[in-house]
Amino acid sequence: MDFPPPARRVFIVGNYGSGKTEVAVNLALALRARGVAVRLADLDIVNPYFRSREARALLESHGVRVVVPPGAQSFADLPIVLPEIRGMLQLGPGDGVSLFDVGGDEVGARMLSSFHDHLPADSYALWQVLNSRRPFTDSPAGCQRMRASIEAAARMRVTGLVSNAHLVTETTPEVIAEGLALAREVAAQSGLPLVFITAMGELADHPQVAALDAPLFRLERHMLPPWLRPAGACEDPTDLPAARPTPLGRPRPTE
Amino acid sequence: MAKVLMKGNEAIGEAAIRAGCVHFFGYPITPQSEVPEYLAKRLPEVGGKYVQAESEVAASNMIYGACGVGVRVLTTSSSPGISLMAEALSYIAACELPVVLVNIMRGGPGLGGILPAQGDYLQATKGTAHGDFKLLVLAPASVQEAVDLMGLAFQLAEKYLTPVMLIGDGMIGQMMEPVEFPPEGQAKPLDPGDWALTGCAGRPRRVVNSLYLDPELLNQHNLKLKAKYARIAEAEQRWELYNCDAPYDVLITAFGMVARICKTAIEELKAEGISVGLFRPISVNPFPTRACREAIDKARRVLDLEMNMGQMLVDIEAAAQGTKPIDFFGTAGGVVPSPDDVIAQVRKSLAAAGVEPAPARAPSKPAAKAPKGAGQAKRAKK
Repeated sequence: MDFPPPARRVFIVGNYGSGKTEVAVNLALALRARGVAVRLADLDIVNPYFRSREARALLESHGVRVVVPPGAQSFADLPIVLPEIRGMLQLGPGDGVSLFDVGGDEVGARMLSSFHDHLPADSYALWQVLNSRRPFTDSPAGCQRMRASIEAAARMRVTGLVSNAHLVTETTPEVIAEGLALAREVAAQSGLPLVFITAMGELADHPQVAALDAPLFRLERHMLPPWLRPAGACEDPTDLPAARPTPLGRPRPTE
Repeated sequence: MAKVLMKGNEAIGEAAIRAGCVHFFGYPITPQSEVPEYLAKRLPEVGGKYVQAESEVAASNMIYGACGVGVRVLTTSSSPGISLMAEALSYIAACELPVVLVNIMRGGPGLGGILPAQGDYLQATKGTAHGDFKLLVLAPASVQEAVDLMGLAFQLAEKYLTPVMLIGDGMIGQMMEPVEFPPEGQAKPLDPGDWALTGCAGRPRRVVNSLYLDPELLNQHNLKLKAKYARIAEAEQRWELYNCDAPYDVLITAFGMVARICKTAIEELKAEGISVGLFRPISVNPFPTRACREAIDKARRVLDLEMNMGQMLVDIEAAAQGTKPIDFFGTAGGVVPSPDDVIAQVRKSLAAAGVEPAPARAPSKPAAKAPKGAGQAKRAKK
């Protein structure tokens, strides 16, 4: 796939559990690896668990600027829009790319409606992440309904599709191929481009996956569940109230 | 059926539908709000009804009423919301209505926080509300088990005509795992038996009521409930033993997601040559006391781990009856113990039991004194 992305403002939307945060965190790290300045805003006001703010220390160690509510507020599910998030919409020459990890469904996308007036239509990319193994987006009609409700809530148009078909550790090449087929159908119906498909880790090297006719973005798993995660892997001494920065979704230690 | 990726909360909602429950009354509260959200979308598709009540008090009385007319019903909530439902639960148990409810527990006491906890164990198993009644309480440790136990919950509720509660922490509600469901449309309708208010044309009228002013009648009613709870205690104990076939010095006791964290720790300790057993109750009421005692008898020491300040501990103590020392490690407020936290506690218990740490099998491995580093190094390579 192409780096950097076609726009300098990239919004990641989709239904709950489509994998927006994992995609956003991986995109931020991939852009940094290519020397692009990145700011990542966690706009998830819906789900209090497994948000990109939980990968903050990992992201910051790679030079990604992470914009999240400060202190104990980062543990809340409140509609907090920091002034810095609006600042991320105004990009200067050296500002690189602004990534926005938006909350799930139309409820999460509603956060975007206040940005509408600040953004000309061609100044951003808004990617809908699809997972064909999630309820409500397992059919082209379901994906289109999800897109329509997100667009209405956000007052912004989806500009591209990302197929992130997966079953976490039980993903097979067949699941990825099935997701691609679904995304192609949605793309044909909507006229939207398929920006890329994803595969996690070694699955990206599988011959059946490599043979698929679509740009492939290789993901690494950064949002680990607690039973797989070591303590104190990611201490962040800056402004967090507890000894542990967050009780859930702590990222793996940087190797 | 192909596996789908679902959040625990969504999976609980779908599992209820597969069990033939298409009526939901509830009120949103983090971290279980995806159950009502999911059912608000799904129930109209299957000819069911979703009603958002004005409060948990109202929701709990709605399930009381709906179940009374012979409708299979579900409500779900999180800790403070369950407290608000307590009064109706006592009425429901008194009237012997087969409702199913779910508590996706968050940090307390009070308004607490929205992150996962297990602080409502005693509320669910011992003191839900006034009067002599018991809930049948099941505690899943994965999204798939939550699905399976939802099906069982409806079966048990209707077999014994008693309210059944599933308790899980916020993690199980929020995390996503691939799951499989039983097929749709296979469940039989709720049997109205001789109790449901289905219209009395051609038969004597029935009354769903918990008021007994005559002391002797109320005494008889309590004795009847007591006998029923005894039958449940005899027949419906469920538990899991993990790594208990090999000899062990320390037995871990844990329920729900904490047990899963302990399993990771147990596997890591096993690689070091240290064998630790795990006893996990699946039915936390009735508590599998005998099975727990048998697992305790094989250990020198017990280590109880919970995301609360020591609630299941009373059941572990009752099972041990003072025969073995019991250590406790608890977290609250949304702090989830890590596998390394568990390993550190196991080492403390081993030391207290006077067990020499097993020598590391490979000389290149870090010494047992540095568990944190050892654990991390191993995981990082995976």
